[in-house]
Amino acid sequence: MPERGEQKKKRSSPLAGALAGRRQRRVCLLLLGLVLLVTLFYAASLGSVSFSNKEVFYIIAEKITGYVAPSLEISAAKKDIFLQIRLPRVFLAALVGASLAVAGATFQGLFRNPLADPYIIGVSSGAALGASLAVVLNLSWGWAGLGAVPLLAYAGGLATIVLVYRVSRQGDTAPILMLLLAGIAVSAFLTALVSLSIYFSGERLHQIIFWMMGGLTGAKWNYLRVMLPYMLLGFGVIYFFARELNALLLGEETAVYLGIEVEKLKKIFLAAASLLVAAAVSTSGIIGFVGLVIPHMVRLVAGPDHRFLLPVSALGGAILLIGADTLARTVLAPAELPVGIITALLGAPFFLYLLRKRRKIRYFDSP
Amino acid sequence: MLPEGTFAALIGPNGAGKSSLLRSIGRALEPTEGVIYLNDRDLKKTPAQEAARTMAVVPQETAVDFDFTVEELVMMGRYPHQQRFRGGSALDREIVQEAIAATGITHLAAQSTARLSGGERQRAIIARALAQEPKLLLLDEPTANLDIKFQVEFLELLCKLNRTRGVTILAAIHDLNLAAQYFEYFVLLAEKKILALGKPAEVLTPENIYTAYRTPVAVHRNPLHGKLNITVLKQLEAEKGSSGKSGLKVHVIGGGEEAVLLLSQLLEAGFRLSVGPVTREDSCHRFAAYHRLPVVTLPPFSPITDEHHARHLALLEQAEAIIVPSLPFGPGNLRNLEAVAGLPASKPIFLLEEKPFPARDYSGGQAQVIYEEIKKKGARTFFDSTALLSGLEAEKIYV
Repeated sequence: MPERGEQKKKRSSPLAGALAGRRQRRVCLLLLGLVLLVTLFYAASLGSVSFSNKEVFYIIAEKITGYVAPSLEISAAKKDIFLQIRLPRVFLAALVGASLAVAGATFQGLFRNPLADPYIIGVSSGAALGASLAVVLNLSWGWAGLGAVPLLAYAGGLATIVLVYRVSRQGDTAPILMLLLAGIAVSAFLTALVSLSIYFSGERLHQIIFWMMGGLTGAKWNYLRVMLPYMLLGFGVIYFFARELNALLLGEETAVYLGIEVEKLKKIFLAAASLLVAAAVSTSGIIGFVGLVIPHMVRLVAGPDHRFLLPVSALGGAILLIGADTLARTVLAPAELPVGIITALLGAPFFLYLLRKRRKIRYFDSP
Repeated sequence: MLPEGTFAALIGPNGAGKSSLLRSIGRALEPTEGVIYLNDRDLKKTPAQEAARTMAVVPQETAVDFDFTVEELVMMGRYPHQQRFRGGSALDREIVQEAIAATGITHLAAQSTARLSGGERQRAIIARALAQEPKLLLLDEPTANLDIKFQVEFLELLCKLNRTRGVTILAAIHDLNLAAQYFEYFVLLAEKKILALGKPAEVLTPENIYTAYRTPVAVHRNPLHGKLNITVLKQLEAEKGSSGKSGLKVHVIGGGEEAVLLLSQLLEAGFRLSVGPVTREDSCHRFAAYHRLPVVTLPPFSPITDEHHARHLALLEQAEAIIVPSLPFGPGNLRNLEAVAGLPASKPIFLLEEKPFPARDYSGGQAQVIYEEIKKKGARTFFDSTALLSGLEAEKIYV
C-alpha cells in the first residue's frame, strides 16, 4: 500500500502513546516489585517476637556478607526465628499468593469466565483427598524434606486434572464447557471422599480441617526449594503464551482464525496452571479468594491484556497473601488463624463490591 | 473453486451448510470428507499461522466479553504476523490504524469494545480481519445485525476492499436482493451441496431458488439499478389467479405503477380481472402477464390502434364492472376514456380519484370533458382504494 509511507508522520502520535504505555507498565511493575520487597521484610519483622528495621538489616547483611555488626547484639535464637521461621514463611506466602493469582487469571481467561478460580476444575479437591489420606493413614515417609501430606496433596491435585481432561475429551478436542462440568462433577466426587476420610479421621480431624482451611504455619525453606522450580516453570510457560491467552478471550473459534493452535494451547495452559495450583495447595492448603479476586482487581485498573495482567497479578497476589498471613498470625497472637479465613473474610465482601460496581477504570494503555 | 479476486456471495437456505463451509475453510471445523485447498495446498498441511496470514474470517458470533479497547482488539489481528515478545511494531500500529480508518471507527479506537453497538462491534471485528492483511476474507452473515444504513456502508466497504486491494471475498448472505445488488458472483448451497455457482443471472433463476428454498419467486431487473431483483410470491396469490371465488368480472383501465397495488388488492379480494391497453413495459402489464389475466397489450411506444381499441372494447363488453384508476390521461390514452364513456349506462363504472382529475389531465382539457360525461352517466367516485373495494363488494351482492 503506497500511502503507508506518507502517513507515517501523521501516525507518530499513537506510536508515541504506545511507547509511553509500555514505559508506564514497566514503571508500574517496578514499583510493585519494590512494594513486594518492602512488604516481605516488614512482614517478617512483625509478630510475637518483633524486629526493628535495624535488626532486620543487620541480620540479612550478616547472612549475606558474613559481616557481624559490632554495635548490635542479636541473640542466635532471634536470628533463627527470623531466618528459619519468618523469612521462609513470608517467601512461601509470596510464592503461593503469586501462583494462585496467576492460575486464577489463567483459568478466567481460558474459560472466558470471570467466576473461574484456581480450584475450578478440581485440583484443590484432589489435593485435599491426597492430604487427608496422608493424615488418616498416618503416613510418615517423606522425600526431599517434604512430608507425606504435601507430596500426596501434590500428586492428588495433578492426578485430578489429568482425570478431568481425559473425561472431557471428545475426539481431538476438549470443549471448555465439558472441562468445567467434568471438573465440577469430579470435584464433588472427590470432596465426598474427603468428607468420608474426615469421618474416619478420629483424633486427627483437627489436622485435616486445618489443612483444608489453608495456612502457612509449617513453612520451611525446604518447601520453597522443592516448589520453586514448578512454580517458576508454570509461571514462565503461562507468561510465554500470554498473547495466545489474549486471543483465547475472544473465543476459541476466533482464536483459530487468528492462527492459534487452540487445542494444544488449552492443554499447555491447563497443565501449567495446575502445576502452580498443585504446588501452592500442597504446601499451604486451600487458600481461597486470592486467585479469584486479585485478577479481577488488576483487570479493573490494568485492562485484560495478559502480558501485563499476569505479572501484576503475580505481584499483587504475593503482596496480598503476605499481608493476610501477617494478620492471621498477629491478630490473635500468640494463637494463629488459618490464613484462608482472613482471605475469605476480606475477599468475599470486596468481590461483592466489585460485582456491584459497574464502571470500569483503566489507567494503563496498551503498548 | 473460488478464483482469486472474486467478490462472491454464499447463499442458501438455513441449514444448507453455509456456516459449516465457511468454518471448515477457516479451519474451525474439520471437513468429514473432502479436502480444502488454499492456494493449491492442502489446508490441513498448512501451518496455522501461515493460513491466518492468508485468510481472515469474520464469524457470525461477535460478542467480546472482556474489556479490550477497539485498538487492542484490532491489534490481535496482527498476531499471525508478529513474533513473540516483540509487541506491536511501528508497522503493526500503522496497519491497525489503517484498518480502523478503513472501517470508519477511528473515533472509537480508544473505547472499550464492551460499550460498542452491534454495528460498531461488527466494524471492529472487520478491522481486526483487515489487520490480518488477508488475501481471502470469509464472512458469515456479516449484515445480519446491521440496520440498512450500515448494511449498505458495509457492503460498499467490502466492494472497495475487493477492488482496491484485490481481496477475495466470500460472504454468506441471507438477503438475496441485497446480495444481488452488490455481488458479482454467487455460490448457491442446498442440502450441503453446491447447487449452482457463477454470475448472478446464472445462479439467481426462479428454478434454482425454488429448488434450494422451496419458495416460488419472480426474478426481474430492478428498474432503479438494473440488477436482479427477487420477489417472493405469496402462495395464495399464485393459486387464485383469474378463477376467483366471486366470479365478478372487473375490468381495470391500465397503466402505471400505482395501479398495480389496486390490481393486487382486487385479485386478493377474489375478483376476475382484466386489464386495459398497456404497453409491454408497463408495470400493470407485468402484473397481468404474471397472473395470466386477460390484457390488451400494446407494442412499445405506440398509440392505441383500431385493432387494440376493438379488443379493449370486447373486454369492456365482457366485464361486469369497470374501474378507472387514478391515472394520468393524455393524447396517448384518451381513446380508453372515450371507450368507457361510450358504454351503456347500465354498466357500473367506478372512478378512483386518489388525485383530483385536473392534476392528471395532460390532454389540454379534452379528457376532463369526457370524464365529466362519464360521471354524469352515473359513475361512482371513490377517493381511496379501500372505499372502492367495499363499493365493489356491494355491487357483487347486487348483481
